[in-house]
Amino acid sequence: MTIAAAPQTQPLAITAHIAAACDRIAPTWPLDQFIAVNPYWGWRGSPVADAAATLGALAGTSLTMPRSWFRSEHAAGRLAIEHIDAFATSLGDPTLAEAACAVLQQPIDQAQPVLHTMALATGVRDLGGPPQPGQTWADLVTHQISQHCAAHFDGWQGSWHPTQNVDLFSGWRAQLSASHGVKWRHGAGWARAQIASLPVQPEVTIAELLKALDIPAAGHESYLTALLLSVNGWAAWCAYRRWQARLVDADDDAIIGLLAIRITWEWLLRTDAEARDDGADGTAVWTRWTHSWAHAQDAVDAIAIEQRVDWILQGALEQAYQGTLISALTDADTAPSQGPAVQAAFCIDVRSEVFRRALEATTPNVHTRGFAGFFGLPISYTPAGSALTRPQLPGLLAPAMNVTEATAPGAELDDMTNERAATLGNRRAWSLFRSAPSSVFSFVESMGLLYGPKLVKDSLAHTEAPAKWENDGLSAESAARLRPHMSIADGDPAAAAGIAKRVLNAMGLTDGFAPLVLICGHGSQTANNPHAAGLDCGACGGQTGEVNARALADLLNSSVVRGHLAAMDVVVPATTWFVPALHNTTTDEVQLFDTDLLPEGTSAQLRQLQQWLTNAGDRARAERAASLDLGEYAEHSELLKQAVLERANDWSQVRPEWGLAGNAAFIVAPRARTRHMNLGGRSFLHDYDWQLDNDLSVLTLIMTAPMVVTNWINMQYHASTVDNRRYGSGNKVLHNVVGGRLGVFEGNGGDLRLGLAMQSLHDGHSLRHPPLRLSVFVEAPRAGIDSIISQHAVVHDLVANSWLHLLRIEPTTGEVEQWTPDGWQPHR
Amino acid sequence: MSVTIFTALPLWHSFLLLVPAVAALVAVVAARRATSVAAAWRYGRAASVVMLVAGGAGLVARASTSNSAGMLLRADTEGTIMLALVSFVGWVVIRYSQSYLAGDPHEQRYISQLLATLAAVAVVVVANHLVLLTMAWAATSLALHGLLTFFGDRPVAVAVAHKKFILARCADLCMLGAVVAFGTSFGTLRIDQITAEAVAAALPMGARIGIVLVVLAALLKCAQLPFHGWLIQVMEAPTPVSALLHAGVVNLGGFVLLRFAPVVDRAVETRALLIIVGTTTAVIAALVMTTRVSIKVSLAWSTCAQMGFMLMQCGLGIWEMALLHLVAHSLYKAHAFLGAGGAVRQTQRKQLVAKPPAPTGASILVDTTVVVAGTYAAGWAWGKLPFADPPSATVWLLVGIVAVSLVPLASAAHSPGGRRTRLPLIAGTIAIPLAYFALHDVAGQLVPHGQAASPALLVFVAIAFALLFTIHTLCVLVPYGGLSARLYPWMYGGLFLDEAFTRVAFAVWPPPAPRSRPSALPNIAAAAFPDRTLA
Repeated sequence: MTIAAAPQTQPLAITAHIAAACDRIAPTWPLDQFIAVNPYWGWRGSPVADAAATLGALAGTSLTMPRSWFRSEHAAGRLAIEHIDAFATSLGDPTLAEAACAVLQQPIDQAQPVLHTMALATGVRDLGGPPQPGQTWADLVTHQISQHCAAHFDGWQGSWHPTQNVDLFSGWRAQLSASHGVKWRHGAGWARAQIASLPVQPEVTIAELLKALDIPAAGHESYLTALLLSVNGWAAWCAYRRWQARLVDADDDAIIGLLAIRITWEWLLRTDAEARDDGADGTAVWTRWTHSWAHAQDAVDAIAIEQRVDWILQGALEQAYQGTLISALTDADTAPSQGPAVQAAFCIDVRSEVFRRALEATTPNVHTRGFAGFFGLPISYTPAGSALTRPQLPGLLAPAMNVTEATAPGAELDDMTNERAATLGNRRAWSLFRSAPSSVFSFVESMGLLYGPKLVKDSLAHTEAPAKWENDGLSAESAARLRPHMSIADGDPAAAAGIAKRVLNAMGLTDGFAPLVLICGHGSQTANNPHAAGLDCGACGGQTGEVNARALADLLNSSVVRGHLAAMDVVVPATTWFVPALHNTTTDEVQLFDTDLLPEGTSAQLRQLQQWLTNAGDRARAERAASLDLGEYAEHSELLKQAVLERANDWSQVRPEWGLAGNAAFIVAPRARTRHMNLGGRSFLHDYDWQLDNDLSVLTLIMTAPMVVTNWINMQYHASTVDNRRYGSGNKVLHNVVGGRLGVFEGNGGDLRLGLAMQSLHDGHSLRHPPLRLSVFVEAPRAGIDSIISQHAVVHDLVANSWLHLLRIEPTTGEVEQWTPDGWQPHR
Repeated sequence: MSVTIFTALPLWHSFLLLVPAVAALVAVVAARRATSVAAAWRYGRAASVVMLVAGGAGLVARASTSNSAGMLLRADTEGTIMLALVSFVGWVVIRYSQSYLAGDPHEQRYISQLLATLAAVAVVVVANHLVLLTMAWAATSLALHGLLTFFGDRPVAVAVAHKKFILARCADLCMLGAVVAFGTSFGTLRIDQITAEAVAAALPMGARIGIVLVVLAALLKCAQLPFHGWLIQVMEAPTPVSALLHAGVVNLGGFVLLRFAPVVDRAVETRALLIIVGTTTAVIAALVMTTRVSIKVSLAWSTCAQMGFMLMQCGLGIWEMALLHLVAHSLYKAHAFLGAGGAVRQTQRKQLVAKPPAPTGASILVDTTVVVAGTYAAGWAWGKLPFADPPSATVWLLVGIVAVSLVPLASAAHSPGGRRTRLPLIAGTIAIPLAYFALHDVAGQLVPHGQAASPALLVFVAIAFALLFTIHTLCVLVPYGGLSARLYPWMYGGLFLDEAFTRVAFAVWPPPAPRSRPSALPNIAAAAFPDRTLA
């Protein structure tokens, strides 16, 4: 099979199909900024069940757990027949309830119904002989593409690369042409000639090869989508590059190159096969394959019908979970209480819920509130005197300003910059000595023995917190003098006050300031963990929230900024001080920053606050002890603390903490609504008082930003659980970091892996994240919520297509009702 | 050339030598029978502590007595060092594995296979009888096989372990051949007696065949080109298994050669084999390493290269350096694998400083001249390079390899930056060769070095390493230049040697099918989408 001479421009329809296929792929962030992403983001425009059926047909994935899991949930009493009945009735289809109940009554290990996926050419080749025993063509193709993408995008692992300043597709053509690793039936020369005959532009190649493969036009988009999904990991990496480019109004076409690579493989494998499989049977298989793509929709429809039952089970379980929250939400005592000694703002993160509850149980004098952990600052951060700049805000946004550290009086920034450059430059030279091919042998002989003591040190338990890596190259003295600072506070204090006002407004904290206001970000503490950033604050771009908390407190404590704020009707009393802090979610310690700046006479208050935080830490650890397999220490706070600290430093620990596992709800309401509830670390909490939000600007912000972020987190956990092979990163004990930061392989190679490891979801005995779609509770009048849904396509898609559940708490009565396509309905 | 003098092995000493292996074996049985995973780990950890203490005691006992050997066992310097090393690595790996593997459905099986591997290695390093050595070496590989196929549901894991299985059995056959050859020509299978016989008179043909077979077994088990593929691809096993494999198993080939050092010294063909294969592997694998894109695979190529270097040292007769290399590499590589999860943090730290501009050709030329001249001067001053003594040619070669390794440090020492930047680097550039000389002296006290290899082989090594340095330097200077671009696909593909070997090996003996394995999370593809049919 040969391809026709390339026309000058490809038909418009193909461009649209390519764009549509590429838009289906959600980005994945690099490991040093590993924020959670909803891997189904590109499908949000379709109802979740339709998207699931399509993904099933094109990629063999599923969006719900196997039925055996629902049966065990039923057996455990978490999913009752009445939940099914209620849910199916709410959908207006009682017959499905019967089918779903029948499924629950089957033996627990009854096999799943068999569903049919669309085949790719690699799959057709796999019907015949494998390229070598123990390897399929599909695996070979994925591996070859994956290795090339890694070499193309690598900046930190290898020191010898292919030419990286060409586009992905051209680089790959050169790579495969020079390879002798594939055994072509026609020989390597044939493959080289075939590759050379392809048009240079990826789009043109795709158009030509669709024609050459004879894929019916009706199937083009489905086929291209299926191709990208077969190299989902690298497609997601390319989508990340595109996402970043588009944040700054540029673009990146690597994903189209990847699609061209994948379809070229299809064409090469099919062409190479035909030479020998020229008997009637071989041709018939290929013809059948080609025609199958005209009927991709039939496969989708068949799966959709089969999966209706699964969606009943899923929805019923989610409704059952909602039921456990609703009566408590309604019963809340929402009478405001006055005059706390401390107000403490935490991130909406589900881990904050545990700590806030512990802190509130320690003392009634602290009022806590929930807010996005980047505290509304659209910043990037550059550690003083370093070459690194990284975003400190949600991945949905581009930074608008940069924060670096102002040194405290007496320190000279230039000295620090030099200090760092000198130390780190030396370290780089040593790492070259360790890794250059002509040095490795002498390195081992002269320095290798020193790793014996290192092995001992790393093997023994210890409790000291590691130094911040951002301070690398600085003496402890210099590091202690650094304070993140927003230069806008000096240059344009009025604008800085504008930012401060927006943040305070969004927090709902514009009067009634307590003497101390804690601005508490969060971060994790793990060792030897490639996915460490995934446990840090997602709202801060997968970093700790320290920089944001300190920069905001610095801004709000500035008397000049406060002067401008007062002119904007936000009066911060002179007796109020903002204290930045960081909640260590792994150890439940809270570190306070910049306390040396506190005004005189506040030291007693500060000591009191520190005592409360210490006690709250003890409580929170005791609550988490059992989940960390440390239940035996739950009653002994000192021993427990030591065990938790050791665990955080343990280089062999694959479950240092549970991250956001279990997340299932997002409650947007005043804290009074939930203060009496134990939400079990499963709920995001955002404070919101509709009465302070006349123009709906705050609720709009919450529903278009934090709600989207929580959906991303929720769906990352969901997808990693229901299909860990495609959307999760597999087994942590096999993780193999690619390109220093691009992602991980599971084991030797294969596709780049996305999402969460099995160990982050499962403790070896049971699932720690029951995959439930997020239930968002908003305490606000109907009209406001409805207008936001109708004005914001993203919000509408998520709600109307059931990617999350939207529920409303009636502010006056506390009753809960549910959004449905037919309007608000009482919750059943 | 001195010959190690052996006395008979005292009973208490042989008991001490066996403690690590016995402790591990007892723990294997206990762990298998344990009623809970926690109990199995307790047995494993207890055994690892016993091994550690006994390994340390073995070193002390050896230091306070002389080399001794019995019928089956042997207490000599390299053996007790290896025993201590293996016990230490075992202690580290078992500690690490307990939390790392927590919750795996086959955790208990893992513990017993890990202990069984350690027990087998602990016998290899104290064995004096060739049959015992052969059996223990084979047992090591068989016990390890269970760990390499720990994820037996992964097709790659199964295929790669099978590849290793084929090679290991070939190596075992070589060792069996060696048993026959040495047995018939010397009438003894005690290794101390074999080496004594070899020193006493010219090598008979049987012994020549025997030692060639031992060398072949070592080359196969040390993953030398073109039989290296399995070592590179076993990232399909849990990280601590990789650590143990790279620190305590793959290097046993070098250790066995150390045991046979006097015989190797006297068989010119084995030296040629070791030097040519070892040097070629070292040079090629070191270059391939720089093209790798994932941390563990890069480490594996590095091991392949380091093993080549160690075997080359065996061929050169610098046994003391081979032992140093083996031990130092074990510690380094165990740490590198166990800490491989820190790769991302390393990247973050590197991002804090801008990459310095690439050095110019002229500056590299100057640096190279300065460090080479300086290192040779230092070597002369240290007394390493007496011009008259015959082994000095080998030492000249070694000092040259150390000298060029310093070029990256020297280049950085005069890159832009204050004086504070330069001082530690200049100090390092001076300290490293001195440390090297000092370690060479210490190692020389422990293990005698052998006879110099033939000049042709020395020239071969010199050219190979000069080539390595030149290619690397050109690739640094002109990253996408003609040479770099032309060589890259070959190095990226590992010269396609493994593909060729695998095709042949699997045609002869195809790998078994993967097994099913309980999975914590649903396997959607298998449960609901078992086949891709053509609708």
